[in-house]
Amino acid sequence: MEIYLHANFLYPSRSYKVFKQAVILLLILIPFASFSQTSSPSVINSKLYGKVVDATNKQPIPGVVVRIKGTTHAVATNSDGEFNFVTGQKFPYTLLVSFIGYDKVELTVNGSPVQIELKPAVNQLTDVVVVGYGTQKKSDITGAISSVPKENLNQVSSSVDNLLRGSAPGVNVTQSSGQPGASASIRIRGGNSITGGNEPLYVIDGFPVYNDNASVATGSGSGAGVNALSTINPSDIESIEILKDASATAIYGSRGANGVILISTKKGRRGTSDVSYGAYYGQQRITKTLPLLDATQWANLRNDILAGTGQPPSFTADQIAALGKGSDWQSAAFRHAPVQNHELSFTGGDERSRFGLSGNYFSQDGIVLNTNFKRYSIRANYERDISSKFKIGLNSTTSYSTTTGAATNTGSASLSSPNLITNIITTSPVVPIKDQNGNYNLVNPYTSVPSNPINDLLSVINKTNINRSLGNFYGEYTLLPGLKAKVSLGADLLSTKQNYFAGPNTANGYAVVGIASVGNATVNTWLNENTLTYDKIIDNKHFINILAGYTTQKSNGEAATAGSKNFVSSATTYNSLQSGSQTSTPTSSAYSWALNSYLARINYSYLHKYNFTVSGRADGSSRFGAGNKWGYFPSAGFSWNAVEEDFIKNIKSISAFKVRLSAGETGNQEIGQYQSLATLSPVNYDFNSVLITGFAANRLSNPNLKWEKTKQYDVGIDLGLLDNRINLTVDAYYKKTNDLLLSIPIPLSTGYSTSLQNIGSVQNKGLELGINTENISGGAFTWKTSLVYALNRNKVLNLGATQTSFFPAVPNGTLGILQPVNIKVGLPLGTFWGYKTAGIFQSAAEITNSPTLDTKANTKPGDRKYVDTNNDGLITAADKTNLGSSQPKFTGSFINNFSYRHVDLLVFFQGSYGNKIYNALRQQLEITNLSTNASASVADRWTPTNPTNDVARATNSPVAQMSDRYIENGSYLRLKKVVLGYTFNGSLLNKIRAKQLRIYVSAQNLATITKYKGYDPEVNSFEQNNTSQGIDFGAYPNYKTFLVGLNVTF
Amino acid sequence: MSLSNLIIKTRMKKIYILIGVASILFSCNKLDEKPASVIVKEQFFKTQGDAVAGVTAVYGELVSDGTEQPLYGREINFLTDMTTDDLSAGPSAINPNVRALSSVTYTATNDRVQVLWRQLYTGISRANVAIDQIPAMSFDETVRKRLVLEAKFLRALFYFDLVRLWGDVPLVLHDPTSTDLNSLKTNRSPAADVYKQIIADLNDAKNLPASYSGADIGRATGGAAKALLLKVYLTQKDWTNAVAKAKEIINGPYGYGLVANYGDLFNKATKNGKEHIFSAQFDSNGGLGNTSTLMGAAFTGFGVSVPADIPADSSVYKQFSANDTRRAVTFYTSLTNPSTGVVKVYPSFYFGKYVDRTVLLTSNQSGINFPIIRYADVLLMYSEALNEIGGATTDAYSGINQVRNRANTGDLTPGLSQAAFRDSLYAERRREFVQEAQRWFDLARTGKLVEAVSKVATKTNVSAKNYLFPIPQSEISINAGLTQNPGYTN
Repeated sequence: MEIYLHANFLYPSRSYKVFKQAVILLLILIPFASFSQTSSPSVINSKLYGKVVDATNKQPIPGVVVRIKGTTHAVATNSDGEFNFVTGQKFPYTLLVSFIGYDKVELTVNGSPVQIELKPAVNQLTDVVVVGYGTQKKSDITGAISSVPKENLNQVSSSVDNLLRGSAPGVNVTQSSGQPGASASIRIRGGNSITGGNEPLYVIDGFPVYNDNASVATGSGSGAGVNALSTINPSDIESIEILKDASATAIYGSRGANGVILISTKKGRRGTSDVSYGAYYGQQRITKTLPLLDATQWANLRNDILAGTGQPPSFTADQIAALGKGSDWQSAAFRHAPVQNHELSFTGGDERSRFGLSGNYFSQDGIVLNTNFKRYSIRANYERDISSKFKIGLNSTTSYSTTTGAATNTGSASLSSPNLITNIITTSPVVPIKDQNGNYNLVNPYTSVPSNPINDLLSVINKTNINRSLGNFYGEYTLLPGLKAKVSLGADLLSTKQNYFAGPNTANGYAVVGIASVGNATVNTWLNENTLTYDKIIDNKHFINILAGYTTQKSNGEAATAGSKNFVSSATTYNSLQSGSQTSTPTSSAYSWALNSYLARINYSYLHKYNFTVSGRADGSSRFGAGNKWGYFPSAGFSWNAVEEDFIKNIKSISAFKVRLSAGETGNQEIGQYQSLATLSPVNYDFNSVLITGFAANRLSNPNLKWEKTKQYDVGIDLGLLDNRINLTVDAYYKKTNDLLLSIPIPLSTGYSTSLQNIGSVQNKGLELGINTENISGGAFTWKTSLVYALNRNKVLNLGATQTSFFPAVPNGTLGILQPVNIKVGLPLGTFWGYKTAGIFQSAAEITNSPTLDTKANTKPGDRKYVDTNNDGLITAADKTNLGSSQPKFTGSFINNFSYRHVDLLVFFQGSYGNKIYNALRQQLEITNLSTNASASVADRWTPTNPTNDVARATNSPVAQMSDRYIENGSYLRLKKVVLGYTFNGSLLNKIRAKQLRIYVSAQNLATITKYKGYDPEVNSFEQNNTSQGIDFGAYPNYKTFLVGLNVTF
Repeated sequence: MSLSNLIIKTRMKKIYILIGVASILFSCNKLDEKPASVIVKEQFFKTQGDAVAGVTAVYGELVSDGTEQPLYGREINFLTDMTTDDLSAGPSAINPNVRALSSVTYTATNDRVQVLWRQLYTGISRANVAIDQIPAMSFDETVRKRLVLEAKFLRALFYFDLVRLWGDVPLVLHDPTSTDLNSLKTNRSPAADVYKQIIADLNDAKNLPASYSGADIGRATGGAAKALLLKVYLTQKDWTNAVAKAKEIINGPYGYGLVANYGDLFNKATKNGKEHIFSAQFDSNGGLGNTSTLMGAAFTGFGVSVPADIPADSSVYKQFSANDTRRAVTFYTSLTNPSTGVVKVYPSFYFGKYVDRTVLLTSNQSGINFPIIRYADVLLMYSEALNEIGGATTDAYSGINQVRNRANTGDLTPGLSQAAFRDSLYAERRREFVQEAQRWFDLARTGKLVEAVSKVATKTNVSAKNYLFPIPQSEISINAGLTQNPGYTN
């Protein structure tokens, strides 16, 4: 049978002929047909014309096949969604209208004109999804794109990055700390880069934002970094799409290599008008505390250490007996902290315009005293059809957020303390927290300055205030049928103020009689995008979509800090620097970068069965060498909707089946600014106590500096079974990043240490699996499950001709010396490197007969024993070996949604397997000394009468060695979230005139199964730092949350 | 034309105008980089101010380093004192590489060895840039010539440290012009060639002013160049030239002399006195722009922990007689906490020369200078060279006795043999220069390193190979043309 298409009208003579044939066919067929119109009289030419539109946005839908039921006569809509029948049928008759991505419609018509509204199908495989610079039917997509499930978007979360957790295969979210407002580190399909950024690109309503936490750091704050993305209210988000393979991300060219996260915010809908209010309130508490020595145990330890150096004990037996448990500094520092959120939104629209307005207040207190995060944000989205051809719109969000963080404290411990958390837990338990009068006790005989970490927490001001306005407006004009021009202008205005004050009673302020500093930073980014899109359907077989565009983006950053010390009064804190009698060196800086881009994409689909995408982007970036400003990033993708093939169509159980293939090249420009230039930095010298400023070059210029390029290949299968009750997506990929932007070591005899060059390569290969099932549906009880699984294997392939491995700098003095991480060809990034341990030396004879790290004379029974891995009879740096990697072998999440009548329940498990964590905090706590507290395990230390093989003897500050003792299994399985909700029924809703009302209770981080000994296995002390992932050095601990909330819509 | 057409046309026009305006506004973001807050090398060395700043940066290498303890702020002491019988690593020295130096078990991968190598070559590189760029500039000729000579003095100082610590070293005299790796590799030059360059640079630098005033005090002088040259000749055992140089310094127009009070050498208020010939200038500056951390880590405050640098054993303390005024300056056994007034008495004695009592709670703000060469050294070198030529003559006695009398230890026993005088002189040098980056150089140059160091119980690993330090392994990994010093494995 033939279907005669719209093109007939272009060829009148031919269409007449076709028409005649159709009539004849119908005449033959009608007697055999058994539908209701059998009683109709013989052939009468009737005419029917009409239009097919989308039920939600009333936009015409081209290419829809409209068929008269019971016949083979069908036509397709033109580009304006219109169709025409000239038929032998007599009114009334039934039309069958179907189109991919929409529910089928069957309706009886009685005459012209007829408007047919198609409702978008609620089906993962047929949804329209947001792609770079446009939207596309999911059926036509060739790339690997994951949509964050609606259920996840509706969850309570403090920031966008946390919504991504467990939501899509291949997206690995690691929370860096539990500090409110702190960042997470996100890796899509593993890390590509060693020196450059590895965070994905966020595109918020079309505006590309690289989430660089450094952009909100002025240098005046201290402690954990502040998350630039925390300025966006997560409840404003309508959808999140994660673009993973090159076919999807190459349109973002030089910023696509780490994946792209497309965020669309909520807009109104036609014909509705909603007012919604949502709120929740909760309590957070620490998941666990670390076991430490109590006062009695610590006094014994101190006596032991002194005895080892031949000194008299500092505590008598009577004194020790009187000490008891002593002070519990952890309990004093941690608290039950409230979190609350309120938001009010108005959405709606009429025939010509749609709007969404919302306001949000979010307040989270941290589980550590005097830490918190607050956000105030408003959003306005507006879109209007000025005419049928001209549309304008605006997306904007403005927010103010303020973070009070736990400040870094450097004053009290003799070993270098990374932050206040370590100060708290290493403060000696024999020191009282408060004195007899109830004031904080500032006398600590074991520190050089009088101070108290709890008092420091409460009195040090460490605040970051961020204002962010992110918005764009656009106009879209239909120049010719199918040809649209869109111009958009956007701005991201980010301004940060950081305030710090440590009074004279604090560790940092003591010696300088109070220290204050303030910092300002602004980063203003401008964007202009001009795109042309052309949609064309030929013969209702060929669906063509062409995109071409030019975009240009510029960013200017400025920062300044000032500070002073020596305050007569602490009353003015950081607000009156002139009151300090000594000034600190002020700083200021500025930078700018620009990116000009040409982009193009062709989507071609044949019958929605064979789909092709070819895209390309040319990016010109200011960040690169004079000779390599421009980079070119092509991609190609193909997908085959096999389910449209007859041989699969007939298999009832298969409802969707698609195979995807893609390849392409993307880039990474995140290397900061001015890296290709030989910049000079100030090097000062005091001539006879007069400070003179000098300048010296700190690197060689490299005019050849260019992009990191990542080639990626992806093969994927989307399978829907049993009427899409089971949806399965599998992707396998291979990524190879070449021309790594690597600071390679050059001979030091040149006067320079490194040169940033395009050298080396890294590969990532992996497998991703996503399964969504409707286990039970149709009845009062429903059960849906979603399972996400991803494995990624990362490997350094090449580090240039000069080296096969290097130890990247770890941003901490103590760890910098230990060099815990080795980047080595053949091993994954984040490989920990150190000695293997073999227990404890038990006797002098054992020392004589074994290789020792220190000299034999310095090695005593009770010292740790290391393994001579290269069997040369010596323990040297050459015996250090691979201790495992911070990269997980696989990650997964398992989400169950249950509902019974009005009750819904969500149970969300998340896990990671095979990753190692370097527990540097535990190492610190086992370095026994005379001034700081130690792990409870030290109570069971080696002594001649306690020949343990676990904890070494007590000595004063034994040299720290990087060893497998502190490399711990970071695998965990966590009940991340449980949400129980109740949606009220009609009668109550009518009473309060609400459209919808739901209340819920929720718990987060309820239970965790892990062998990790630190506070929490989700930890990253060095946040976004590529090469120092998986290190726990006193990060702000994670917490569990219990909350109640309600959502109501009027 | 219908109305709607007109409206559409007008709108079309508006759109085109919008697109037009947008493209005018935005289409030409320039891609060239013009940093606003950093200076690029190409923009530099244009004015006299640039030239002065370029040379200031060479001096800066003496006292500051972005990530490590600065060259003369402690780094050089790891190699020249920590490896000797003077100094050992205390319990709070948490770096195993420091411990390895202390026990003389260091290898080619020792990070301190690498850092010192880097710092010296960084200084050389900055001097090279100044020596190459400044002569072509046009400004006041006197200043221009002076700046080049100052850079030459500093280059000679850095190479002198290098050649003594490592022997044959790469002789780099110009800034690289490309980042091509092969062009950046330089193999080792014979020590003789390095010395030839040092002597040439110092002979030029002899023409520097004899003294400076105001904010120029602390710059290299002609006398400093001669004093360093004296030390070069002494190290090469060129006694005749050494004596000649010493005489030029002693009798020259420099006004050098010993300060009456040894403690004044290590006092911020009396720095750059008549005994100062060339020092690394440190200042606390109230926290303003001070990037130097002289000996900061050596003193860790009033807590319970022991400083990172402690005496190797009691032998160094026992060198001093009770009436030696240097002992109380060189060591401390108690300090007063300026914030509480509490006197802290320490269980042992610690090194005190660089502990600035005015900033005890912020020890990285010490304003005490580090003497690189001072007049007492010239006197002792003069005595040594004379003794090597003609035995313990009256002239030879005069140098050492000046030093001894200032220390209140009286004249050296008269009539000593050449060998006995030599031993007395070496002992005097040890007492005079504790923690002044002299001990290892003296032991190495006199061939007494193994004999002296092996007397310390924890340092018995010392052997003949320790007369030179290993070339940093990282340098050899990059440039296979570099050979390793004997006794060290790659």
